Amino acid sequence: MKPDGKLKLVSELLDLPLLDSEGKYCGIVDDVELVGGAGKDLELKALLVGPGAYAGRLPRWAMWVVEKVAGKRITRVPIDRIRSISGSVQLDRPGDELGLHRSEKAAGKWIPRRGAL
Amino acid sequence: MNPLELTLGIMTAVGGFVDISELVFAAKAGSAFGYALIWVFAFSTIGIIVFSEMSGRVAAVAKQPVFNLMRHRLGLKLGLVTLAASIISNLITCAAEIGGVALVLNYLTGWPYLLMAVAMTALLIASIWVLPFKWIERAYGLLGLFMITFAVALVAIHPPWGQLAGGFIPQIPHGLSTKELLTFGYFMVAIVSAVMFPYEVYFYSSGGIEEEWGPKDIMTNRMTAILGMGLGSLLAIAILSNSAQLFSGINVDPEIPGSAALEAAIPFGKWGLVLALLGMFFAIAGAAVETCMANAYSIAQFFGWMWGRHKKPWEAPRFTMTWIVLFLAALGIVLTGVDVMMLVEFAVLFSILVLPLTYLPLLLLSGDKDYMREYVNGPVAKGLGWLYFAIITAAALAALPLFFLTSGGNG
Amino acid sequence: MRRVWFLLALAACSKGPQADLQYIKQARSAGAEWALVNEQASAGKLTATYVGSMHQWLRQQIQTASSGLTEPDARYAIEMQALLSQPDDAAPEELRAHVDKLKQIEDSLESA
Repeated sequence: MKPDGKLKLVSELLDLPLLDSEGKYCGIVDDVELVGGAGKDLELKALLVGPGAYAGRLPRWAMWVVEKVAGKRITRVPIDRIRSISGSVQLDRPGDELGLHRSEKAAGKWIPRRGAL
Repeated sequence: MNPLELTLGIMTAVGGFVDISELVFAAKAGSAFGYALIWVFAFSTIGIIVFSEMSGRVAAVAKQPVFNLMRHRLGLKLGLVTLAASIISNLITCAAEIGGVALVLNYLTGWPYLLMAVAMTALLIASIWVLPFKWIERAYGLLGLFMITFAVALVAIHPPWGQLAGGFIPQIPHGLSTKELLTFGYFMVAIVSAVMFPYEVYFYSSGGIEEEWGPKDIMTNRMTAILGMGLGSLLAIAILSNSAQLFSGINVDPEIPGSAALEAAIPFGKWGLVLALLGMFFAIAGAAVETCMANAYSIAQFFGWMWGRHKKPWEAPRFTMTWIVLFLAALGIVLTGVDVMMLVEFAVLFSILVLPLTYLPLLLLSGDKDYMREYVNGPVAKGLGWLYFAIITAAALAALPLFFLTSGGNG
Repeated sequence: MRRVWFLLALAACSKGPQADLQYIKQARSAGAEWALVNEQASAGKLTATYVGSMHQWLRQQIQTASSGLTEPDARYAIEMQALLSQPDDAAPEELRAHVDKLKQIEDSLESA
């Protein structure tokens, strides 16, 4: 499915895993950015990925815990970067280009690159 | 279906079935109530077969691990609650397994228990770092087949086979006092929990993704679940039956894991003892790996990180850091000096409370035609799935009151 | 149902022999295991390392049970101390004599 028709936000998009063009996991659809207003059609503008995107979905006390543990980072993935939506959201670029692998790269500096068969 | 792969998969499941909780509760159940709790092991095994088969099928067809799908299905809030509960349950269980394997090393070598816990944690971390997924699973699972010593010991001690067979019939012994009845009820709940631990399903389904299962592997999945776990449960039943025959008449209620090894020493002497201890070592070590990895899989899948031991450790850095930190956290719990048996009790108690949260999303996912297409739950899977869900929910509600009323099964 | 709530409340705040029952059982069982280990060891069926470890852990079980008692001067407390004063390689019959006494006390408390 391509995201240019009608979408059920909750059942068809929210909380789906994101896969980049190289087939690597690069987060979950934590929230969405919509434009429009009362009485108008709502249009999907971008996907929001990262702990900061929980703010609209968790109570304040839970968000306080999330920020202490994981920070407030949000990465915005524009709608035109989505290739298709099925059991996951497939992107048309590598995650690096969209700023989606920053935490993975930061963690990678701590992992020695030897010893594994 | 590759016959060699299937056979190895089944044998791995057999050798990996028994962990510290099943060992302890099987031995205690046998000494306390004779053969009367065999049926609960058999009944619970059917439950874990049903849900393992479902989780393997979801992995093979939806090509997504259970926790990815669970978050999508439950949403963020309920998903976080499920994740948190699962992390705590698996962490306590992992600590119990590390403590258990350290105890076994102490019985084998005489070296200090806490030092063995540290050494064992280092060895487990090294083995997961170095070995690819299939080797990890196969090594611990196949070496766990030393547990067959207990089944052979059972034959050697000539139990009353008629009475043993009678234990497979659902029953509550006659003439029990109120307190004994409550203790029997506690053992029923504890056995259901020990056999149907959540980590087994998470590890099994993520393992299916690691091994790149597809719809062509549905039958492999089914046979591995049915034969592997079915035969594996016979080892737990052998431990219970040995205990019933050897311990119940002499005032022994096995309080420490080492007592179970006596079941093989009595008929076979030192060789039986050593083989039983080796079986316990590999089975419990394998369970420590599974509980830790299940937790790491759940966290990585929930947050959409790269994950899997089919990748090199540096190719999935956050996943790698997670399982190492989890092992160290479990070791930290053991190093506080808390009694291993208490850890086992808490692991079993916490897990039964979490079981309904674990299995409901899996039941819904495997019954969803949008994900599963023509591989959706048939009438047998659906019927058994909902039946066992009702049973584990009832067990979860009864667990805490029974724990307090019976002082953790001690009467 | 009322009886179950009563037992729950009782479990939460009782003292005396009934509260000590779980510790008596723990010590009785550990003592019985100790006797079994010594019996099998003298038949040459166990390794010395295993026997040493089991002695250590079983003693610890009895010590923990003894420390948890609410009635430290009761007859069962004295039996537990008598068990703890036995050498590691005590004769199984000697250990079982103490175990049998604990079992009698346990049975009488359970039937009370």
